[in-house]
Amino acid sequence: MKKGYLLILLTLVISLVSACGQPPAQDPAPAASSETGEPAAASGPVKFATDASYAPMEFMDLDQVKGFDIDFIAAVIKEAGLEHEVTNVGWDTMLESVRQGTEYQAGISSVSITDERKDSYEFSLPYFESTNIIMVKQGSPVKSALDLKDKKVAVQNGTTADILMTGIMGDNSAGLSKFESNALALMELDSGGADAVVADIAVVREYIKNNPDKNLVSIADSQNFDSEYYGIIYPKGSDLKAKLDPAIQKVIDNGTYAEIYKTWFGEEPDLTNLKAAMAKG
Amino acid sequence: MQEFRFDIILYYLPMLLRGTLLTIGISILSIILGSLLGLIVGFGRMSARAYFRLPAACYINFFRGTPLLVQILIVHFGVVPALVGHTDVMIAAVLSMTLNSAAYTAEIFRAGIQSVEKGQTEASLSLGMTHRQTMRYIILPQAIKRMVPAFGNEFIVLIKDSSLLTVIAAKELMYYANVMRGQYMRIWEPYLTAAIIYLILTYSLSKLLNWWERRISQFEQS
Repeated sequence: MKKGYLLILLTLVISLVSACGQPPAQDPAPAASSETGEPAAASGPVKFATDASYAPMEFMDLDQVKGFDIDFIAAVIKEAGLEHEVTNVGWDTMLESVRQGTEYQAGISSVSITDERKDSYEFSLPYFESTNIIMVKQGSPVKSALDLKDKKVAVQNGTTADILMTGIMGDNSAGLSKFESNALALMELDSGGADAVVADIAVVREYIKNNPDKNLVSIADSQNFDSEYYGIIYPKGSDLKAKLDPAIQKVIDNGTYAEIYKTWFGEEPDLTNLKAAMAKG
Repeated sequence: MQEFRFDIILYYLPMLLRGTLLTIGISILSIILGSLLGLIVGFGRMSARAYFRLPAACYINFFRGTPLLVQILIVHFGVVPALVGHTDVMIAAVLSMTLNSAAYTAEIFRAGIQSVEKGQTEASLSLGMTHRQTMRYIILPQAIKRMVPAFGNEFIVLIKDSSLLTVIAAKELMYYANVMRGQYMRIWEPYLTAAIIYLILTYSLSKLLNWWERRISQFEQS
């Protein structure tokens, strides 16, 4: 009897949650499309979800989503002749809603392509090469990832840094703290609660650049941290991959990509590894 | 919704239970320390002297009027580093929950004590009892009985609110649910499991409190 009660409760909760999943009222159409007077693309703009807490890849500037990913996807969409909008919904919501594929048809949020994630999502061509990197305070004895074993390390939960450090430090290591955002993990290092932060190179560099007075240094460790590649995620069976992959290829080949890269990272991208990864699909 | 994966729940169960223990530990420690602090603040709030009353009123207003999530972040990244020189999750967890619950328990104490009619104080004073004796033998025994349900409520709220501690990576139940979500990128398994564990905690606690309340009222009738 107790079990039956629980089941009813569960069903209630689930039906309530799915009822709340109705798409919200649409934003007014962007001015550009109404000026041209052309009918919008048959299916309307492609709706992208993102977790804008990953500067400089994607972040909020007041109420606008900005960053490398945002400029990149704008170029790809333009190349493909479509329209799009990007909404900041947070990491969890992005993953779940893109999986369902009703409210958002795609997610772009520095999502590393991994085999595990391929089970749940369709990935675009890889569009960005990244690696994890260690950040410590100046004078720290840490030289490589293996030195972190008995140290206090802060990472963002669910990131590849988390996966790597869990692998090195163990499943239930007391020294590894998994925060809800990189910002919180970085703050933990700042205030002395952690000896090191492991995160994507772009995030760490941006932080060191913005906080020159904090005497932080980054340590690369290609031995323990492999290169990884970001991809756009689509729901399984989405037709968007076929539409956007050629556009991604073009944007990278025709130099638009390098321009966007330079505005955000201040240097020319080294595309050798990325192009090899793209060739593999 | 894809098929529900009981295997990953089973795999994570030891972690979730370890987190549950910490949730219980933090909640118990905070309700005890919070009650002690709340007792002081509550009496301060009822004091006739303004230099006791005003700080107590400010304290209660601040902690009841700001979100616990904000308090946790301030305590973890601000107060604790200022006190001990570096961030410390456990100190921050217990301190923030204690400070918050003290504000609520202070009001519970005040409401309980003020709910005893004035006539009883007047009667006992006219019988020659001192203020202290009146409080000890007349007011408090009645007040405490009336406070029990409110205290139980506060304890239950505290257990549920301790889930917010996951933002500072305190390794309680919600933290492991989030870790589980991070590893498998699945929503239902970790969060429904966490919800059920919280439900078990709060439901059995409310049963326990009901039983205790009944015992107290029986004790009074005899």
